[in-house]
Amino acid sequence: MNPSANNRTEQMEIDASAKWPVLVFFAYGLGWLLLGGLMQLAAAMQLHTPGFLAGCEWVTHGRLAPAAQNALVYGWGMNAAFAFGLWLMARLSATTLRHGGWLFIAAKFWNTGVALGVGGILAGYSTSFELLEMPRFVSLLLLAAYALVGVWAITTFSIRNTENVYASQWYIFGAAFWFPWLYAIAQVMLFQAPVRGVLQPVVNAWYAHGLYNLWFVPLALAAAYYFLPKILGKPVANYYLAALAFWWLAITSAFAGGSRLIGAPVPVWIPTMGIVANMLVVVGVVIVSLNLLGTLSGRFEAAKSSPTLRFILISIASFILAAIMNLALSMRGFAATVQFTLLDGLRDWLSFYACFSTAMFGAAYFLLPRLTGKEWRSTALVKLHFGATALGVLLMVAGLTYAGWTQGQMLNDATVPFTSLTKAMTFWFAFRTGTLGLLLIGHVAFLINFVWIACPINSQGTAAATLRTPPALSLEGHA
Amino acid sequence: MKNGLALFLGVFATLALSWAGLLLTAHKQIGGLNQFKDPADETLYPQPLSGLANQGRLVYQDLGCVSCHTQQVRQQGFGNDLAEGRKWGERGSYARDYIRDQTVLIGQNRIGPDLRNVGSRLGDAKPDEYAQWFYKLLYAPQSVAAGTNMPAHPFLFDVHPVAGRQPSAHALVLSSKFAPGPGLEVVPTPRAVALVAYLQSLKDTYDYPTERSRNTPAPKQGGH
Repeated sequence: MNPSANNRTEQMEIDASAKWPVLVFFAYGLGWLLLGGLMQLAAAMQLHTPGFLAGCEWVTHGRLAPAAQNALVYGWGMNAAFAFGLWLMARLSATTLRHGGWLFIAAKFWNTGVALGVGGILAGYSTSFELLEMPRFVSLLLLAAYALVGVWAITTFSIRNTENVYASQWYIFGAAFWFPWLYAIAQVMLFQAPVRGVLQPVVNAWYAHGLYNLWFVPLALAAAYYFLPKILGKPVANYYLAALAFWWLAITSAFAGGSRLIGAPVPVWIPTMGIVANMLVVVGVVIVSLNLLGTLSGRFEAAKSSPTLRFILISIASFILAAIMNLALSMRGFAATVQFTLLDGLRDWLSFYACFSTAMFGAAYFLLPRLTGKEWRSTALVKLHFGATALGVLLMVAGLTYAGWTQGQMLNDATVPFTSLTKAMTFWFAFRTGTLGLLLIGHVAFLINFVWIACPINSQGTAAATLRTPPALSLEGHA
Repeated sequence: MKNGLALFLGVFATLALSWAGLLLTAHKQIGGLNQFKDPADETLYPQPLSGLANQGRLVYQDLGCVSCHTQQVRQQGFGNDLAEGRKWGERGSYARDYIRDQTVLIGQNRIGPDLRNVGSRLGDAKPDEYAQWFYKLLYAPQSVAAGTNMPAHPFLFDVHPVAGRQPSAHALVLSSKFAPGPGLEVVPTPRAVALVAYLQSLKDTYDYPTERSRNTPAPKQGGH
């Protein structure tokens, strides 16, 4: 057996071991993506049609909006991250994913927790702290379920059969530890032994920034560092710089949370430290760009044939854009105008949706056919998903940047009455609803394809054969 | 990087440092912030919330008002929160203002106005009349703020027939366009009463001599 064939058998074994946990996590994730997306759409509609669902307490805007955000972040985001992270960790560690049974239990507990949490918000048990709105009792359930997932990611890493540790593994490994620490500390400092006064918003900002930049963004980068060289069949450009970028991004992002509190009634060194950190982040972003865009240079035509690559391209562009947005919002003059507007909200949307979620879509297009041994049933739906996502991200960024700037200028112009401001923004609230609807169409297309590929009954109505040889991809090469 | 232990230690140190550097240091600096005793009237400021207002805070929290409303007034020179016309406070907010609040929701969206000093925005109205204004705003926002996109909160009110009983003294006085119908009256539930008490308690009127210098002095004008 030649080495490459050996490699292929090994990968098939790993994929087979990861198949069911990954499918289950993705299925839960997609369910939440659709549900959370619908809730987000309804909440967005309420801003321009305030009468919509107004009579019912459970879906009043103040509850529906955070419930939707939690469903998307903890439902879709975390499940997708688990699915992708576990699979990639197994592949890069060249070892099978063991004890899959525990992962099913973890998936069940995690999603029960999220369902209880989202339901709790709708029922009126919200804590009203950003991204920590879920009622307190859910946190233990989530942490326990997370521990069951995280431990297999770390175990898989520690029994690795490889000499080298690849960049994607650093990011997954780091994220796997950062999330539970961030979450547990935020829970303790806000609910178990609450800190006083404005320290609460400080803890909240530290957590929110950490969740996006030390959990979701690292996973997106893990995907980019893996899929680019894999699909293009060439090593990462300037790879020797990747380790520097990892540590640089980790340290600077961890300190950048204070930048969310510019102008807030907190000691001024807190936002200042965040501003400095956001400026330093740029160095890490430049190195990552050198790595990733350097790998890509001259090979853009490969994106035509690979949906994975196309989604990863959006993800990389959004990663850079999110850093620019963080930097811009750290400029005091700019922040004074656009703080508290739609533009402010765009920063986290860029990290979570445009950077992380698109990377997960890309990953799904790569790994699901390999895990199930089937092809995507409908390429039209893949195209629809990509088209809706690309257009949606573009519209969201351009539209909300302009809208947020206008909104900020009117907010800061004391001669503009608040009702005129609302009237002027009505179009942009509707625009946002439309864009979210467009993205949702893409999600539905993805879900249909997912059901086709993941369903154990294949298109002929018979049980699918146990792992077929994966479709030979000419560009597939090294691990 | 090949060493798993080194990786772990680095990952641990990164977050531990940011936790200690940001949260712990901030806690050390302002975690012990106390009420200020005014030397003239021997009163402690900020004054604690009343029991009813504190219940209202919970309603504010469970309804997610923070989704659209901030509770922070930015200092002079940053944004325009203090300008005539907006007037979201007499002064910018200080950290000390918030030590009376059990949960501090400074918010990050201004889809609606800032509420930090909404309790002092009653103008010439009496507190009772101002409470009525809030009830109307919550029951039928358009009745007092035409063109707003604030959702109605009818679930904070009881609508029942007047026939056969004494009309409630607390019933809302609504124009026919917003009234539920003839023979029916709209009465705030205890949750609405608590929420409005909370909103009316929102005012940072006391200016701490210790913090006053944080607000840049207003440009000199004759007569002030």
